[in-house]
Amino acid sequence: MKQGAPAETSREKSEIKRPVAVRARDLTMDFGDGAPAVDRASFDLETGRFLTILGPSGSGKTTLLRMIAGFQKPTSGEITVNGHAVDATPPHRRSVGMVFQRLALFPHMTAAENVAFPLKMRRYDPRSVPGRVRDFLDLVKLGDYGERRINELSGGQQQRVAIARALVFEPELLLLDEPLAALDRKLREEMQLEFRRIQHELGVTTINVTHDQREALVVSDDIIVMDGGRIQQHARPVELYRMPENTFVAGFLGVSTFVAGTAFPGGLKSGDLHLSGTHAGEIAEGTPVRGAIRAEQIRIVAAPDSLATCDTAFPSRILDVIFEGERLLYVAESDRLPGVAFQVYHHDTEAFDLYEIGAQVTIGWNARDMKIFKSTA
Amino acid sequence: MDALEAALDMIWPRRLARYSGWAMIAPAILLVGILVLGLVQIAEGSLHTLDRSTFLPSEEYTLANYQTIIDSTTYWRVLWRSLLGAGLTVFFTLLLALPYSYIMVRTSSATIRKSLLVVLFLPFFIGQVVRAYGILIVLGTSGAVNDVLGLFGVEPLRLLFNFPAVVFGLVQYMLPFSVLLLAPALTAIPRETETAASSLGANWLQSFWHVVIPMAKPGLVGAGLVVGTLSLTDFAMPAMLGGGSQDFIANAIYDQFFRTADQGLGAALALLLVALGSVIAGVVIAIFGAGTLGMGGRK
Ligand SMILES: Nc1ncnc2c1ncn2[C@@H]1O[C@H](COP(=O)(O)OP(=O)(O)O)[C@@H](O)[C@H]1O
Ligand SMILES: [Mg+2]
Repeated sequence: MKQGAPAETSREKSEIKRPVAVRARDLTMDFGDGAPAVDRASFDLETGRFLTILGPSGSGKTTLLRMIAGFQKPTSGEITVNGHAVDATPPHRRSVGMVFQRLALFPHMTAAENVAFPLKMRRYDPRSVPGRVRDFLDLVKLGDYGERRINELSGGQQQRVAIARALVFEPELLLLDEPLAALDRKLREEMQLEFRRIQHELGVTTINVTHDQREALVVSDDIIVMDGGRIQQHARPVELYRMPENTFVAGFLGVSTFVAGTAFPGGLKSGDLHLSGTHAGEIAEGTPVRGAIRAEQIRIVAAPDSLATCDTAFPSRILDVIFEGERLLYVAESDRLPGVAFQVYHHDTEAFDLYEIGAQVTIGWNARDMKIFKSTA
Repeated sequence: MDALEAALDMIWPRRLARYSGWAMIAPAILLVGILVLGLVQIAEGSLHTLDRSTFLPSEEYTLANYQTIIDSTTYWRVLWRSLLGAGLTVFFTLLLALPYSYIMVRTSSATIRKSLLVVLFLPFFIGQVVRAYGILIVLGTSGAVNDVLGLFGVEPLRLLFNFPAVVFGLVQYMLPFSVLLLAPALTAIPRETETAASSLGANWLQSFWHVVIPMAKPGLVGAGLVVGTLSLTDFAMPAMLGGGSQDFIANAIYDQFFRTADQGLGAALALLLVALGSVIAGVVIAIFGAGTLGMGGRK
């Protein structure tokens, strides 16, 4: 392709303001060993937004990301980045910055040399390189660490070098493949906020891959939930949490209890018990369904009367009490729904340690909070 | 199990346990000891000149043998030829071994990897002498190479008994060693690092030059050191492919010991060779650190 094509497109981007940066249509990757790793994935990502691909290990996240980066040729389907087919240019000419799962820093170079590497390879004016490297080391708050070798930096600092190196040539697209997975929780949460800050500061279109639902909710403008190679849902974080479209999404984000039964208007029937709920889409009466209720949406009280406002309420027994620090998790079971262990969050600073194991309680919820999905199996 | 432990207790009582480490390296110490003993004897021998009338070593100690070597243009030429030959062999061997081991390590095809390994190991089963003989046949005046050249109307060339032939033989001999030393170093470079280099704008050549080679440096230095010292002290290739005109130091030593029977001069040459090899190895290790040989040394 033409020299300088990336520079042209980035200028175009700011002038014409393209709404869609990444467009994927029916992307499929079949390694030929069973089910496809990615199965007909389609989505659009607007310029400047932060998208997270969320899914359990093996759900095809890395494969999808590698196809977007152009490292992996899809079996079928197409991807365009800023209107150009990804594979129209060889990998080293593309304007994509990537932070890898194991960082892939160059151990024989200093932090500054790592950050300067893409500038040298992309033939930036040598006089501009040191200043640019300094700017980006400052951006990731490593201004004083440029001369350190990679093995002289902590995990979090290495992380920052990897980000600076991926951003220093101002790529059109930033891809992150679970770079935080190996960090301890505290550092991970700090780096999540860093990602957000840097992304806002530079406005670079970003796709992040993770299996950590908290991370997805914290950093993203958009979330795509994947399972078994398929996109399960693509939505804003709040929407995704409030209105999961299927049992997988309902179960993957937050803590939910599932109740199997058959559909009836305004809820589901399990044994002789009628539970209020909201059907996700049109579900005919009598269809096998699963209801999902989140732990923080179940109310738990000692006396049945105080749940008069709830659409559904029934007596239960406390099976277990789990102290999680900022809240308690009660596990409760009802004689009328044997085998279903309801998980209930209880957060009340006034009365923290209310019920003991074996205590008789009443649990209940409102119809809008229980989501009812058609059973898939 | 108990019986075994009891038997073990008889041979090596438990209270000796803290000497177990020494017991295990005892054979190695013994071997090195024999070597040192031999060296001392050679050193002693190098200090006596040969009395040409009696064919016995002189009684008194003298440095005359070393003087003879220093004054002799022949030995300087042999020394220089050995060093140049070893240097060229290191260069060409690494040049060939690097892509070979890289492809062997990186290929996604199991068939290619296996074939490369088999081709690598086959020569190990054929001794150096047989291999040199094979080269004699192939490169000879009526050998395969000259036959092919003949088809193009080229007069038979004298491909043997010159310096390039010796280097060719040495490279051919050393290639498997260096591939085996390089492969682990290349395996240790994560594939992701190269993908990263490419995403940052490096084409494959730049990624090889700026990332693969620096990261494979420990393996390259280790392989270079082994190939260099083995070539410097080689005997068979210069003897067979050099046809007497391309002697390395080892050939000169052989001549003194077994042809001229001048043990003193041979011993002096041998000591020089040991010193030369040690100095080269010492300098290389001092520059690159012991970690270069995969011994885990860290600065
Ligand atoms: N190069 C490959 N060859 C064969 N199968 C692969 C390859 N890469 C990934 N897979 C398979 O594709 C599926 C998805 O893998 P991956 O995209 O790495 O998942 P994730 O990143 O979500 O953990 C897995 O079942 C994995 O075994
Ligand atoms: Mg992955």
